[in-house]
Amino acid sequence: MAEEIRIVQPKEYYKRFLEKDVRPDNRELAEFRPVVLNIGCVTTAEGSALIKIGNTTVICGVKAELAKPDADQPKDGFIVPNVELPPLCSSNFRPGPPGEQAQVLSQTMADVIADSQCLLSESLCICPGKLVWVLHIDLVCLDYDGNVMDACMVALVSALRNTVLPKVTVDEETGDIQTDPTTRVPLQVTCCPVATTFIVFDNKLLLVDPTREEESMATGAVTIVTEGDNLCSIYKPGGTPLTENQIDNCIERAFTHGREVCRLIEDTLLSVDR
Amino acid sequence: MPRDSRRLTGPEECFSPYDFCCSAEKKPGVAISDCMEVDNARTDGRISSQLRPVFLRAGVVSQARGSAYIELNQTKVICSVYGPREVLRREDFSLKGQLTCDFKFLTFSCKQRRMHQQDEHEKDMAVRILEAMESSVCLHKYPKSQINIYVMVLQNDGSALSAAILASCVALASAGIEMYDLVLASSVAICGTQMLTDPTAQEEDAILDSSEKVESAGITTMAFLPSVNQVSAVSFDGQVSLDTLKQSQQVCIENCQKIYQVVRQCLVTYAMEKRKLKGR
Amino acid sequence: MAAFTVVKKEDLEAQQKEESVQSLRCITSELGPLTQPDGSAVFTQGDTTALAAVYGPADVKISKELIDRATVEVIYKPKVGLPRPVDRKLERIIKNTLEAAIMALNHPRSLISIVIQETESLGANLACCVNAACMALLDAAVSMNFMVAAVSAAVTDKGEIILDPVSRVEDEARAVLTFVFDSVDKNIVTVITSGQFSQDEYKKCLYLTKQACDNVFSFYKDSLSKKLLKSA
Repeated sequence: MAEEIRIVQPKEYYKRFLEKDVRPDNRELAEFRPVVLNIGCVTTAEGSALIKIGNTTVICGVKAELAKPDADQPKDGFIVPNVELPPLCSSNFRPGPPGEQAQVLSQTMADVIADSQCLLSESLCICPGKLVWVLHIDLVCLDYDGNVMDACMVALVSALRNTVLPKVTVDEETGDIQTDPTTRVPLQVTCCPVATTFIVFDNKLLLVDPTREEESMATGAVTIVTEGDNLCSIYKPGGTPLTENQIDNCIERAFTHGREVCRLIEDTLLSVDR
Repeated sequence: MPRDSRRLTGPEECFSPYDFCCSAEKKPGVAISDCMEVDNARTDGRISSQLRPVFLRAGVVSQARGSAYIELNQTKVICSVYGPREVLRREDFSLKGQLTCDFKFLTFSCKQRRMHQQDEHEKDMAVRILEAMESSVCLHKYPKSQINIYVMVLQNDGSALSAAILASCVALASAGIEMYDLVLASSVAICGTQMLTDPTAQEEDAILDSSEKVESAGITTMAFLPSVNQVSAVSFDGQVSLDTLKQSQQVCIENCQKIYQVVRQCLVTYAMEKRKLKGR
Repeated sequence: MAAFTVVKKEDLEAQQKEESVQSLRCITSELGPLTQPDGSAVFTQGDTTALAAVYGPADVKISKELIDRATVEVIYKPKVGLPRPVDRKLERIIKNTLEAAIMALNHPRSLISIVIQETESLGANLACCVNAACMALLDAAVSMNFMVAAVSAAVTDKGEIILDPVSRVEDEARAVLTFVFDSVDKNIVTVITSGQFSQDEYKKCLYLTKQACDNVFSFYKDSLSKKLLKSA
């Protein structure tokens, strides 16, 4: 019977649970789903990571290429993050070019890299004006069960931390490019931004780390990106208006969560030998 | 080509750093002899008729009706199945159900970066998977509806087609789609008199775009229905004599039979887990 | 014949320096500049201008129809070229903001479409677009839960806070924060930030923008009453 109510009256179904401060998947309102992180899982990429938050799965691969820099920014390399939500991960997506949601996520990833300055484009310079690295960072969702933003962010940072580039030199006189695949240089990733997403249910309750079902019923969402003790981004695109206190509360919780996730990434990186 | 306005784009011209390696280390095209060591052992230590260990699991994508993940050492493929669902366009209506397949190598899955858009090779692979699966699915049971198979290769280290067919078969079965039989698949690389079972990407590259001229070289992939003992699709690239081709097909069938147990076991485990969940 | 005066860059900058950092730039608007849409508005903050047009409630395509409320659609047109992911993100932010403001439940199975044309983006573009859209909605007399007012603030390298920054200040700033408030409880509808900042700086920006949003709300009121008086 319960399953039928869940399909026909999802909101009612959820309300019954939330009245007792518990969610249908046995979590408390402020409880995160278990996280599994696998770093360096794709060896054809220069860096990679796979993350599972509950059922939500995102894989991130970094592929490095060489290119000539822009004339007006001769020292800047290129960082190109793209998020794909393929039809494989949920029935909500159709084959074809990325939809609105994927585009917004891609842009958000680019914004976070720029805001947190976790990877400076100057650090990707090989020879000013002649040759720079292009990092194609592709994030692909394999299972869409809500909160893809947070998952993408962890996958992105982990994959960048995992990335090693072959040593490339440019001959001063001839301009010839030489690659030495045996010497490998890790990327200079300076910090570890972490996103924490909350949704507003029924205009009043705040739920952390929403599932797909919870997202579909949400009346608003807040994503807070923290980096150590600093804020990188507060992203609340519309939805139910929140009071200052509610947002402050979210920020506090995001800081705690941010530290936990950072520790997880560090621990996982230590266990990867590469 | 117009630039993609729906994605973030880098500079128009990019090169792979590995194109500039010292000439002594890597010649264009790998020689076949590189893949074989003395005593007929292959670079990864297998003998020529040995399969790589298969890791297979069903039900990995929670949102899909059925799904599967397969690993042949470094070849990693994920597949999900949606449907039977309503046909999107009315013109596509038919009394027989339709099966569609979408195949994609992720951009970072191969040594050279791949593009986001599906290229000809990927479209061709999709058709080959579809042809292998179509004869096994009871499409007449799903009138006016479609079943979608989506396959993505996370990492390609050879035999991607047979891995994709195996994953599709397990995904379809776990979705509860009615089928006449399982569809198993296996690849064999032919190189002169050698038959290399389950070739790696290095071996595939060596055979398909080798600089040396070899009398007979090619790759056979075969889809096999084990219970009815029939072949649903054969695909072959290369140039060999008819006898060698027949011989390679025999090897494929033998290998499929070896994989049969793994696929069965995987589906039984999945069914048991599902029953346990329901019982709770 | 209209007279044009040439404004030198230096003069402009001097003028901007004189103005207190804690006030909004000069706001002007025009209600109903377009005749075809149900409502439209041009909103100008300093040199940043946006044009918004509202159509609706109108018929909706079956694929987009919602049975219990109106579908809100926002189309953001950049000054040149096709919309890129940056513009899509802006579009999504404006859409979600307006969705909260519009009483969508009053118009089930219909479409409220808002088209925003970026005209001149010289600082605080998002805020200007939201304000223009809100005025256009008022002009079209779409029923709303509350009005929305957007104000931007920039945090400089020294930690100073500048309200309603011009584009030069935005480029040099360490962080730019844009807040959207509702007119009823002055709660936060939208927060969009770029750059790094501390929690303290966030609070300061919030406090200042919250005060400044009252100016925008009273501006809405004045413009509307002027327009209504004229038509009466």
